[in-house]
Amino acid sequence: MNILIGAVLPLITLVVFVGGMIYRIYVWNSLPSPKMTLFPAPKSGRERFVEVMKETFFFKSLFKGDKTLWALGWVFHVMLALIFIGHFRVFSAIPDNILAWMGLTPDNIDTLSLVTGGGAGVIILACLIAILVRRLEVQRVREISTSGDYFALILLIAIILTGDAMRFISHFDLKDTHEYFYGLVTFSSVNLPDNGWFITHYLLGQLLLIYIPFSKILHFGGIFFTEALVHKH
Amino acid sequence: MSSEKASVREAVVESVKGIKNGPLPLRAYMEVCAKCGTCASVCPVYYGSQEKYLNPAERSDLIRRIYKSHNTLSGRLVQRLLGGEDGFKEGDIDKWIKEFYECTGCRRCATYCPFGIDNSVITRKGRAIIDSLGMTPDTMKKVVQVSLETGNTDGASPAAFHSAIDFLMEEMKDEHGIDINIPVDMEGAEYFYVPPSGDVLVNPEATTGVAKVFHVLGLGDKWTMSSKCFDGANYGLFTGNDGDMKADNKLYIDEAKRLGIKVMFMGECGHAYRIMKMMMEKTGWWGELPFEVVNCMEFTADHIKKGSFEFDKSKNPMPVTYHDPCNFGRSCGITEEPRVILQASCQDFREMYPNRGENWCCGGGGGLSAMDSILDFRMNISGKKKMEQIRETGAKYVAAACSNCKRQLMQLMEYHEEDIAVGGVHDMLSRSIMIEGKAAEREDLTG
Repeated sequence: MNILIGAVLPLITLVVFVGGMIYRIYVWNSLPSPKMTLFPAPKSGRERFVEVMKETFFFKSLFKGDKTLWALGWVFHVMLALIFIGHFRVFSAIPDNILAWMGLTPDNIDTLSLVTGGGAGVIILACLIAILVRRLEVQRVREISTSGDYFALILLIAIILTGDAMRFISHFDLKDTHEYFYGLVTFSSVNLPDNGWFITHYLLGQLLLIYIPFSKILHFGGIFFTEALVHKH
Repeated sequence: MSSEKASVREAVVESVKGIKNGPLPLRAYMEVCAKCGTCASVCPVYYGSQEKYLNPAERSDLIRRIYKSHNTLSGRLVQRLLGGEDGFKEGDIDKWIKEFYECTGCRRCATYCPFGIDNSVITRKGRAIIDSLGMTPDTMKKVVQVSLETGNTDGASPAAFHSAIDFLMEEMKDEHGIDINIPVDMEGAEYFYVPPSGDVLVNPEATTGVAKVFHVLGLGDKWTMSSKCFDGANYGLFTGNDGDMKADNKLYIDEAKRLGIKVMFMGECGHAYRIMKMMMEKTGWWGELPFEVVNCMEFTADHIKKGSFEFDKSKNPMPVTYHDPCNFGRSCGITEEPRVILQASCQDFREMYPNRGENWCCGGGGGLSAMDSILDFRMNISGKKKMEQIRETGAKYVAAACSNCKRQLMQLMEYHEEDIAVGGVHDMLSRSIMIEGKAAEREDLTG
């Protein structure tokens, strides 16, 4: 059982996620693109790069189109970015070692983690719930929603809830995951941490990764093609 | 299910499945829509009536649903688990014909969508499939046919054209007391003026405006029109038929080559300019050409800035506003030029809001303004926001550089009993430009 969840499944997840992403981007890249400029449009390659970056980091068009959705969506993504960066600490002790080398004490690191990680974990949950409520309550969104839309939100909420539970309820110790992942990458052991919240969080996270290449969540890859097109002169 | 209906289904499903082979945007739109609802909040049609079937994402789902259930893993899985059809039921083609001709192709959705999804592209694909089945609405079918046969969407003969031009020259003689020429079929001319046929036959002051511009600049014998090719309108864009669109365009390229001109001088027609400039020229449909594509408003605005003209603004005292045709504003970036012309020709020019690339569609875009079968829809739903915008300006004349917009706007004014005149941009110039010391003396001051 340990081997199945702890080694086999993660391998499958890795292959499906990386392979899926490469496949999708490869396919998109190989298809012909017509000109479909939307004005006002950037005039040089450099300007166009800046516009696509503005879309990527600030969701510029969305801000003009729907400020409420922008607020919810943008904050969600910023929190997601923080959590993504923070997860490097989960896999290995190296990030913490670097922070220590930079002058942070273990207490400093814990506080940083609580504020940016724990804080993000709470704010992102609030965003997701608000986004789900919006999808259920706002007519023009509700009427176009499919099961996939709700599935994605519920999956994300479950992942966040179990993650938050690991931190706030079971006070999970990252030494356990450091040991597990080290054992995995050195092919020496499969020491899956014996924590219910962790296992659930881990499984759901992998489900998410497997789901991404085949779903709308892929928008984070797609926009480099679609947004870039309408900004091309 | 009869074999005829079976083959409609087959054709539709095959065509939609084929989207996986591109073009890229169409395929990406099938896979990337996050159903966030932003498109609906900026769509003029949805604004007019918040019904599910008018929601842009839902309309696109007519195609997307079929694509997903055949081409995506999750789609195929859901199909197998939950059963049901793949999204195209018997009789759906009628739904498609109705609904894909309820999108004005204005591209507002694309402007605000966080992913830049352009529902007008999906709409055009739907219409292309409908056209391949021979089921394009009759009005639109006829316009394309007539245009390919006669070179213009009104089916007017060269003789009719000549008499219209003669009439305009008489009008200008009455206005100014001198001869202002409109050359026709002049080989070796430099500028080939291609307006929408409406600007010759229905709202001709745009054409007299252009004629006066050339006259004042001393270029009266350097330009020409064509008695065969005097209508830039190209409905192959609206029916989704690339073959028709290119064939219609070819007539004009051939005529331009025959006349030996240097500048394809496009008139006040948004989609005509967009096809000629952004598609034909920019993507090189016909290889190297001996002429370049220019829009009349660019040309005139340029000269206004150089101080080439004098205007008697008192000829246009009423408050004037400008409606940005979607094709000029959003799709071609021609926004300042019409304003330069209007500001120079009119006493009281005022903006509507939002404007330029963010302006709202008149409600008759995508060829819809030619369809009187959906007049109620255009007057009450797709044109609702535009009516509100115009009223808010307090203008008594709304200028729109597009024949289709003008038709829609004029119908709106009549239907909603508004005493607001509708016309083009060069029309205002025609009324106030000074030739030999004075502007036009006009008897009929209506509209």
